Amino acid sequence: MKRLALTTALVGLAMPLSAETIGVSIPAATHGWAGALNFHAERTVERLEEQYEDLDFVLTTTPDPGTQVSDLEDMVATRNIDALVVLPFESEPLTGPIQRIAESGTWVTVVDRGLSQEGIEDLYVAGDNESFGRIAGEYFVENLEEGAKVVVLRGIPTTIDNERVEAFQGALEGSGIEILAMEHGNWSRDDAFTVMQDYLSRYPEIDAVWASDDDMAVGAIAAIEQADRTDEMWVVGGAGMKEMVQRVSEGDTMVPVDVTYPPSMISTAIELTALAVMNEGLPVSGDFIIASELITQENAESFYFEDSPY
Amino acid sequence: MSTATTNRTGGMKIDLTVLGPILALVALIVIGILLNPNFLSYGNITNVLARSAFIGIIAVGMTFVITAGGLDLSVGSMAAFIAGLAILVMNTVLPSMGGGYGVIAVGVLVALAAGLVAGAVNGLLVTKAGIEAFIVTLGTMGIYRSLVTWLADGGTLSLDFAMRELYRPVYYGGIFGISWPIIVFAIVAILGEIVMRHTAFGRHCAAIGSNETVARYSTVAVKRVKTMTYVLLGLLVGVAVVMYVPRLGSASASTGLLWELEAIAAVIIGGTMLKGGFGRVWGTVVGVLILSLIGNILNLTDMVSPYLNGAIQGIIIILAVVLQRKGGAE
Amino acid sequence: MTPALALDSVSKSFGPIEVLHGVDFDLRPGEVHALIGENGAGKSTMMKILAGYLSATDGAVRVDGEPVRFASSDDAEARGIVMIHQEFNLAEHLTVEENIFLGREMTGRFFLDHKKMQAKTAELMQSLECRVAPTRRVSSISVPDKQMVEIAKALSRNLRVLIMDEPTAVLTGSEAKVLFKQVRRLREEGAAILFTSHKLDEIMEIADRVTVLRDGEVVAHGPVADFTEDSMAAAMVGREVSDLFPPKRKGGGEVVLEASNVTSGRAVEGASVTLRKGEILGIGGLVGAGRTELVEALVGLRNRSGEVRLKGETLPAGDVAEARKRGFVYLTEDRKGAGLLLEKTLRENLTLGVLHRFAKPLIDRKAEDAALTKAIEDYDIRAPQRDMKVGNLSGGNQQKLLLAKVMLADPDVVVIDEPTRGIDIGTKQQIYELIHRLAGDGLSIIVISSEMPELIGLADRVYVMHGGKITGELEGDEVTEQNVIRLATGLSVAREDAA
Repeated sequence: MKRLALTTALVGLAMPLSAETIGVSIPAATHGWAGALNFHAERTVERLEEQYEDLDFVLTTTPDPGTQVSDLEDMVATRNIDALVVLPFESEPLTGPIQRIAESGTWVTVVDRGLSQEGIEDLYVAGDNESFGRIAGEYFVENLEEGAKVVVLRGIPTTIDNERVEAFQGALEGSGIEILAMEHGNWSRDDAFTVMQDYLSRYPEIDAVWASDDDMAVGAIAAIEQADRTDEMWVVGGAGMKEMVQRVSEGDTMVPVDVTYPPSMISTAIELTALAVMNEGLPVSGDFIIASELITQENAESFYFEDSPY
Repeated sequence: MSTATTNRTGGMKIDLTVLGPILALVALIVIGILLNPNFLSYGNITNVLARSAFIGIIAVGMTFVITAGGLDLSVGSMAAFIAGLAILVMNTVLPSMGGGYGVIAVGVLVALAAGLVAGAVNGLLVTKAGIEAFIVTLGTMGIYRSLVTWLADGGTLSLDFAMRELYRPVYYGGIFGISWPIIVFAIVAILGEIVMRHTAFGRHCAAIGSNETVARYSTVAVKRVKTMTYVLLGLLVGVAVVMYVPRLGSASASTGLLWELEAIAAVIIGGTMLKGGFGRVWGTVVGVLILSLIGNILNLTDMVSPYLNGAIQGIIIILAVVLQRKGGAE
Repeated sequence: MTPALALDSVSKSFGPIEVLHGVDFDLRPGEVHALIGENGAGKSTMMKILAGYLSATDGAVRVDGEPVRFASSDDAEARGIVMIHQEFNLAEHLTVEENIFLGREMTGRFFLDHKKMQAKTAELMQSLECRVAPTRRVSSISVPDKQMVEIAKALSRNLRVLIMDEPTAVLTGSEAKVLFKQVRRLREEGAAILFTSHKLDEIMEIADRVTVLRDGEVVAHGPVADFTEDSMAAAMVGREVSDLFPPKRKGGGEVVLEASNVTSGRAVEGASVTLRKGEILGIGGLVGAGRTELVEALVGLRNRSGEVRLKGETLPAGDVAEARKRGFVYLTEDRKGAGLLLEKTLRENLTLGVLHRFAKPLIDRKAEDAALTKAIEDYDIRAPQRDMKVGNLSGGNQQKLLLAKVMLADPDVVVIDEPTRGIDIGTKQQIYELIHRLAGDGLSIIVISSEMPELIGLADRVYVMHGGKITGELEGDEVTEQNVIRLATGLSVAREDAA
């Protein structure tokens, strides 16, 4: 399903005639993954603006759904955007506003978090939370014996977290691996550190940890190191954070693998949208799902981006 | 005055304002022991105390601010900003200083100085510009939060790996089996209690919070004392950061999120009055431990859905205050 | 005649301390009844029981002869019994009109009928000869006007019994006259009125009957005609009170305080003051003449221009701590708002201004306790418990504590603003003697007073203020009520030699 070739093809396209404005609305950088999302969005916008004189971008970052709705209204009212790339903060409250924008004839690209009604957006670019959880789960099944004990650090209680965890549990079903506990580490290093400390107090025997996010994995590892139980268990995070990818590539026994959930999907979405507005009729609408992949020591190099903040 | 003492029968009555928070703490400990045998283990107790240290050190400072009738909402983002700044400075001076304890000393000094300055800014805006503390610190809260996001470029600021190993013992190490954060927290709490109860500064804080006009007419240097409470709090935020950075060696936009509310909650649970005029540092320490233990016990058991952690904290906060008010009424 | 409201051997205890001992009392329709007694005699407690704010520990409250048990003051109000407290019960941020109709707002079909309420408020305020607009916020009006609003609020209800705790303490003579006019009108309408006052001449003027309380017991009662001011005072104090003021002395050593051309905002304009060692200097004038503002400017609680020299050295403006260090202190007229921390103990209040002396750097609790013991002795502070909150002390004892607190700074110059406001006659006399003793010890004292006899009785020399300016200086025999009033109202002094 990966079609990276398509985005690189954009670079060679001819100059368009009229000026077009694309609005980009994404959540603020409140945690590492969102920070990387911001990084990639800004870089892509900068590059495209440099490349195409007639392409304008409006980039906004929002701390909550309410602000995002206001931002979208402002974009339509004051900047008269031709296309919108939006990562909805939450599905429900933003479905209505985005639907109205789509109905007014504006091109709409929805990123990652789907709207609660189908068929509104022209293009849907997303990671795959189901495969994110499943791939991690499959790794656990392959590398742990029956009766092994694992603990799970969940993210902020949301649909995304539920989808990931359900897929993880689904993959473990029938394997005989026991999930001791699943508490919320809220995708935060500090919270994950605290929860992991308490797991370590509570369970004398843990074979593996699924942290469901690399930030949480960092916190969990610090707690395991503190308890001096590094030989006993390993940790699988997710999302492809630089620090974690490096540990995988170095063959760290604590971090054998990682699972991708690339924040650079925003670049894919912005570039595809630019392609669509500047070349009417080009067939870019539809769903563009970026499945999660397993990062191993062998392939780690291709997932490591030196200048990314994440 | 001998008649006065013989007339008193109050000794028999249970003083809920004093006992309330302690009873709640004891109850939590008993629940913890019943639910999990590891609760009293050395490891768990060390964990709970050490993780309480950040909020605890800050909450001691907050006790003074609130006692003097103020409030500081900015401490959480101030901590994040100072942590980010300290990491950035340490990474920057590392090449020229070539590692070693000197770099850490620079980081510590930066953290303490930044805390001092940030606290002074809050304090002077409240006293000299005469803006309500709520507004001033709401403003600085937003400022520090976005500054750290900006410093980290939306991501995470991480301390250089070699430095992290060197700095690590400040959180994980200790003497006689007691880790440094616990020792520092204890020292701050004891000094705080002494300053609050036995010095002119503590008494002046209570007087100002009780009635600022009376304090002014009594020739108390009201503005200076109020400013000092914010400076003290800022300095303690710096101390907390010195303990926090070695734990994970990083700071991001989500560092210290909601610490201000936890600190304020701990102060109130401990029996300090939100409107000022009366404060006790030991109560704040108990409040911090209560809040930490709730999270710890929920993590150690499956009894309650972790979704309800906030609800349980909320109930405890309200209950603690209700008990105190009832106890204080008659 | 059946009394409208009566107490039948009522006792009241707070914890282990009984403050009322079997009080019998009756209040009849169509009478004005004065309740007098020293501070702490139990007047406020008794009134609060009558108005349902407190319940009796023992005995019965009767309304129209029937024993009742008020669950709350609302219960009493429903029966037409309204009480006006010494501390105002007004919502500071609401308007006069909103306060008067608080909880009983008049409504039109759906919304509040502001027009009707404003008209009614204007009418009430007019009957009290108070020119405050109904739309003014209470926080912006003067203290006497607030009292008038309280009274208007009470009058606006269907009241049968009106209870007033020291209604005239904050009113000037003419304002009190207006109040009395309304009181007489209510009496004619058949209402029963009970009030307390320390101003015995008022009681002679307005009351029909008098009840005297001492230490929680009724020690005398009867028609006012059976009393004289002296006999009332004697009943209150339990001994003969003659010669309220100690004999005058000749003050005047070298000049210790010299202020020239002091101006502060719009409240004080170009005032010049000299004060000599051992002198008692009075400052007279009407409420709002700028007396308090002048001394606050001198001592550094208020910004000022002009020069102030203390013992020959220039005193910086706006630095009250520096003034205290150099021996110049101010005792506020606003005991509860600016003088004492009501929620704190005696000890904490006493040492607040000079804590640095007890802190080295830890506060020496023993030294503090010793200072309190000495203050209790020196100033005769009667506190049931040493560790009680100051808010639970009677007004007189609060004033003595405040005096002790100010004197702990070891001042050379002390300003005492309204030294005896709201204080009983026995304590008054003690305070006057104390002021004299201090002056005799070489202290220089400035006394601000709205009570003419006090000003005349105490001061060696008097400045009179009017409209922010010092309009005259009186000395020796010139210090007469007539002269002070002429200067206070902006007239010049009628001097015999000037004719």
